[in-house]
Amino acid sequence: MISKEAFKKINDYLWEYRKTGQMNVPARIYVSEKMLDEVFKDKSVEQSINTASLPGIVNYSLAMPDIHEGYGFPIGGVAAMDSEKGVISPGGVGYDINCGMKLLKSELSEKDILPYLDKLAAEIQKEVPSGLGKGRQIKLSIGNLDKILKHGAKKLVEQGYGEEDDIKNCESNGFIEQADPEAVSLHAKNRGRDQVGTLGSGNHFLEVQKVEQIFDEETAKKFGLIKNQVLIMIHTGSRGLGHQIATDYIQVMMRAMPKYDIFLPDRELACAPFKSKEGQRYFAAMSAGANYAWANRQMIAHYIRKAWNEVLGQNVSKLTAIYDVAHNIAKLEKHKVNGEEKELVVHRKGATRAFVGQPVLIPGSMGTASYVLVGIESGKDSWYSTCHGAGRTMSRHAAIRALSGQEIINQLKAKGILVKCYSMRGIAEEAPQAYKDIDEVVEVVHRAGLSKKVARLVPLAVIKGE
Amino acid sequence: MANKSYEILDHPSDVRIRVFGDTKEELFSNAMRGMNEVLKSVSLKKAVNQRVVVNSFDLNALLVDFLSEVLYLSQVNKEIYTDIKFNKFSDKELEGELIGNTIESFAEDIKAVTYHDLKIEKKDGLYEATILFDI
Repeated sequence: MISKEAFKKINDYLWEYRKTGQMNVPARIYVSEKMLDEVFKDKSVEQSINTASLPGIVNYSLAMPDIHEGYGFPIGGVAAMDSEKGVISPGGVGYDINCGMKLLKSELSEKDILPYLDKLAAEIQKEVPSGLGKGRQIKLSIGNLDKILKHGAKKLVEQGYGEEDDIKNCESNGFIEQADPEAVSLHAKNRGRDQVGTLGSGNHFLEVQKVEQIFDEETAKKFGLIKNQVLIMIHTGSRGLGHQIATDYIQVMMRAMPKYDIFLPDRELACAPFKSKEGQRYFAAMSAGANYAWANRQMIAHYIRKAWNEVLGQNVSKLTAIYDVAHNIAKLEKHKVNGEEKELVVHRKGATRAFVGQPVLIPGSMGTASYVLVGIESGKDSWYSTCHGAGRTMSRHAAIRALSGQEIINQLKAKGILVKCYSMRGIAEEAPQAYKDIDEVVEVVHRAGLSKKVARLVPLAVIKGE
Repeated sequence: MANKSYEILDHPSDVRIRVFGDTKEELFSNAMRGMNEVLKSVSLKKAVNQRVVVNSFDLNALLVDFLSEVLYLSQVNKEIYTDIKFNKFSDKELEGELIGNTIESFAEDIKAVTYHDLKIEKKDGLYEATILFDI
């Protein structure tokens, strides 16, 4: 059993487990001392240590303050591999490829929106299905789907489902060019044909929010954020298409590993050398999945705008994109390693890219606060990565047992938050009490220098699919 | 027959099931039923059949690949399968006929069947497996 005593304190918010056994590098966890006690409650520390055994991992196996148990990698795990000598691992991305956040801003303030809030939330719910039932009723041809896999959100904007700013204010401008639809199985494509513009279930949500507090006036101004301003947040990913790509390639890599003499402590860490045939093919498929996710969030933004105009009229202020960022992805990036620039495959699983000056979007759990942060120079030790959310601490069953959906709706209503969801069970499962405290997680991120707080957002209405 | 075919266990973020069976075939059928319990919706309609063929490199992988294939068929066709008749079954491959119904919607979206802590064991003549679904 690994204990807290095995960790060396680097500073108040960073702890290191030295390299032992199969590890290629040490493991480092960004948490406060109080949170360090918490992380031993599940297998996340063990997973962080296992990740350190992946071939070609550079410097450290890293974990962000919202670390919790995942598959293979912990959620909140960040690992950069040398692109020449290292591996790529589907477990380092997760099943929901490019699960991420998109944030839209308006020029309206809380008082402008309150009289229309119920109608707006209902209209958004109508326009954005979960995709678990009847869905969108639009089934794309494989040919049209391939265009989305290749060109992502850019393709949809070209087709009129958005504006240039949506692409400009998006990680990688809404698409990864190495994406290859040929690397995506027919199974994955079939799962994705009728899901562009659908929300999914679980912790995915849409929220009408207001800016409650500004911490950094200058950056807030740059991002176009002011107090009490109305924003809309989108949290979803690549849906069934991405889940299938992950399932397909974990199988491919498990079969390929003996060929490359790779033997690992956990099957979910399955990987292949980045430059191998299997590695390149996964990267091309994962990139296509990421493009699909950017297109999905773009399409949802389009339907939210439609609902917005339907309820508030055509002349109301526009909804413009602040940013769109992934928190489950592997990217080819250049970083300085021992003073020398190197090309790395940076895996961020439940972790958000936070390049200097870039808006970082961190959702809280249902009904709690969310944050806008900004990437800063001191984030270089984590390959400019930061946390991705609060992280669950209570099982879905325990959450359902603890509080009913109606009790949670009443509690949120007392706080002035409206909830739209067809499933009471869905509400109960996502009870705010089932998650870590987002304020505490973000405070550690801020103090550790991973990224800097810009604004705290609170929900006015929560919408959870059909 | 095993006393219990499956049970749904607690997990902080996902869904874990424990499955039992007198034979490997029964273990696989019960795992499918356990997965359906998570996915299921109330409105069952037309009866349907689907053929399923899976090849894998060992029994653990076969179970994950089988459930992944059934999940795929369920989600793409909007169907839930309640039974399977195996025409072929070994540790590395299976072939069978799924029997089920079309449905209107799912109660839960299972993202994937994982290998996390997956173990197929034989205890006192009874097969047992624990499977975790990412949801």
